[in-house]
Amino acid sequence: MSAQDTERRPGVPGPRTGTPRKTARTPRRSTALSTRARTRLAAGALLTPFFALFTVAMIVPVGYALWLSLFTEKQSGLGFDGPRTVFDGLGNYATALGDQAFRDGFWVLLGYCVFYIPLMGGGAIVLALLLDSALARARRFFQLALFLPHAIPGLIAALIWIYLYTPQLSPVVAAMEAGGIGFDFFSSEGTLPSIVNIALWQWLGYNVVIFYAALQAVDRSLLEAATVDGAGAWRIAFSIKLPLIRSSLVMVLLFTIIGSLQLFTEPLILSRGSGSAVTSTWTPNMYAYSAAFERNDYGLAAAASVLIALVAAALSFVVTRLTNRRKEARS
Amino acid sequence: MSRRWSRPVHALVGAATALAVLTACGGADDSRARGTADDPVTVSFWAWTKGSQEVVDAFNATHDTIRVEFEEIPSGGLGGYPKIANAVKAGIAPDLLSIEYPQLSAFVSQGSLQDISSYLTEDVRKKFLPQTIEMTTLGGKNWAVPFDAAPQVFYYRKDFFTEHSIEPPTTWDGFRDAAERVKKASPRTRIATFFPDDPTFFQAMAWQAGAQWFRAGTDAWRIDTTDPASERTADYWQGMIDDRLVSTASSFSPEWTSSLKRGTTVGYLGASWGAGVLAGIVPEQKGKWAALPLPSPEADRPASGMIGGSTFAVSKGSTKTAAAVEFALWMSTHEDAINARIGASTSSALPAAPAMVPIAKKAFDTGFYGGQDLYGLFEEAGRSIGPDWVWGPSPGATNSALGDELGDVVGGGSTLPRAIRRAHEATVADLRKRGLRVEEGS
Repeated sequence: MSAQDTERRPGVPGPRTGTPRKTARTPRRSTALSTRARTRLAAGALLTPFFALFTVAMIVPVGYALWLSLFTEKQSGLGFDGPRTVFDGLGNYATALGDQAFRDGFWVLLGYCVFYIPLMGGGAIVLALLLDSALARARRFFQLALFLPHAIPGLIAALIWIYLYTPQLSPVVAAMEAGGIGFDFFSSEGTLPSIVNIALWQWLGYNVVIFYAALQAVDRSLLEAATVDGAGAWRIAFSIKLPLIRSSLVMVLLFTIIGSLQLFTEPLILSRGSGSAVTSTWTPNMYAYSAAFERNDYGLAAAASVLIALVAAALSFVVTRLTNRRKEARS
Repeated sequence: MSRRWSRPVHALVGAATALAVLTACGGADDSRARGTADDPVTVSFWAWTKGSQEVVDAFNATHDTIRVEFEEIPSGGLGGYPKIANAVKAGIAPDLLSIEYPQLSAFVSQGSLQDISSYLTEDVRKKFLPQTIEMTTLGGKNWAVPFDAAPQVFYYRKDFFTEHSIEPPTTWDGFRDAAERVKKASPRTRIATFFPDDPTFFQAMAWQAGAQWFRAGTDAWRIDTTDPASERTADYWQGMIDDRLVSTASSFSPEWTSSLKRGTTVGYLGASWGAGVLAGIVPEQKGKWAALPLPSPEADRPASGMIGGSTFAVSKGSTKTAAAVEFALWMSTHEDAINARIGASTSSALPAAPAMVPIAKKAFDTGFYGGQDLYGLFEEAGRSIGPDWVWGPSPGATNSALGDELGDVVGGGSTLPRAIRRAHEATVADLRKRGLRVEEGS
């Protein structure tokens, strides 16, 4: 039912048929040319700022990182004569991949994603559906309340949460202890849940807003039709609403995965500001930071960063590919 | 930067991303040794230590040939060092930098600093505590002007100790006894804190015990962390942590400060500069605190290691070395500078130049410590700083590995001996990766 409904949805562009524009252009060639020239000019004018910024902020730094990653610094004597930079080929990549601390970082990320993505996705969908359902009261208020944590910078959030996690200081820990729950948020078992909790707090509302906006865009007549056909609230939610906001779901999944790969601020603050078991190389990003700024090994840091970027690119490719394939299979 | 190939890239990156900064750099090409009153040499200076702004103001008010431009940066471990490293890498570092002793060797080995041996003549060097000159001399060259010596001492709540008639400890054995009695007197109270976030805290005590992790040979480093002194220190503190005789909050964390305020931490194994910090954290406990020399391994043989302590170093790219060194020396050895820093702020730094100690003593209000002669204590502690400890060229690798493991040690997942082993392995691996020769073991 759902797939057919989707196809019948008004406003969805049908499959491309022929090339009507080309046939329209042929009779008045000169005008067509000048139009094309004008279009090009406009496109150029509009795109130049983007490409200029993209070059400066993306291509040049990425190129520089690639370049840096091929070199390493060697010293002589006791090491106080200043370093020599030598070409090292893929040596830094081998070092990073061969370093257990770097590899462990990806396992930490995997554990984080296993915890975080279902909680985040599931939580955001449920809350968005609730907001969208007839049950919800005070929608505006909840929308704002849920979104509010996102307005707080990650750094500040992490500092506040450290306070809330610190034994003997935190009212939360005190309350938990009073209730007979002893949990050390800074222990090696506790750190992952601690950080997942901060991330959830921070991002849940943001994703709820995205889903809610998508749900609001769902054609109401479709929902009425479903109701007339006898579908209940659950059935409408799962068979109509969710399939219709699939593109938002995919986008959030993609952003969440890439965001997870870049996990940095919260664990860094937790590793510095508390006696927690978060190490300086806990996530791959922290490994790169530590390599550059604690061990002054810029080549290794660049190589680690490039590897992280490659993993992110591969993952986003897989995610988009999988979801596209499912979409094709459906239509 | 001795890298020919990297010039174009640097130029490109610089031009693309930091035009404004580059322009500023162009204007700063001022290589005169000395300015004139009409046209002074401008020296840029980065630091985060207490009272720096006051010192700079005092200098600018009394000097007309050198003009200092000060910028306060975040403290080293909280972003200051990455900022400096980045600035050096980008060629936009200021002329003069504040760097702590443990990190000095890292910046020297990165080629970020200038050899200032020619300015630190015998006469100048004589003005400083020998250990501080020792620690700023690497590979036979002077790399920095010492500012303070930072011997570790023991601050304690005199009122608490008196009330429960606990003898203030002078040896580590006595410290353990006192710790037990503190806990007995008040079960939630601890004698002091083992800081898991600051590896130099533990190192200072290994240093005090006579450990020497890094030794410079003629062309190789000798890394030795399994000496009896390190083992003894590790066992001792492992026992204190296991028996919960000390708390394990992070240094200067809210957890630590709140336990001081509540009076559940009644001691602090801190450096000389910690006196001012402590007084700032719990001003309401004025008069209740006192200080003692750091407990020593054996009675009547006082010794100390250092925690932090600042030096002033000239960045590699600076063309104003003479003026920068002149300003640095003024900060470390001039009465006005010490007065400005200690009088205007709550800094309790122990000047590395002994002649300045009386000035600091006069400027620092010891009311918080019941009027105790703190500087007399610091001075003695300063003299007892173990002279043999040096930092290897890779303190970052050593300390990040040690620091990572210490978090696990206090969580019960690791042990101090294991943490030292990790630090050892990380150091050796890092040195080898840089192409340095390393000898291991004792």
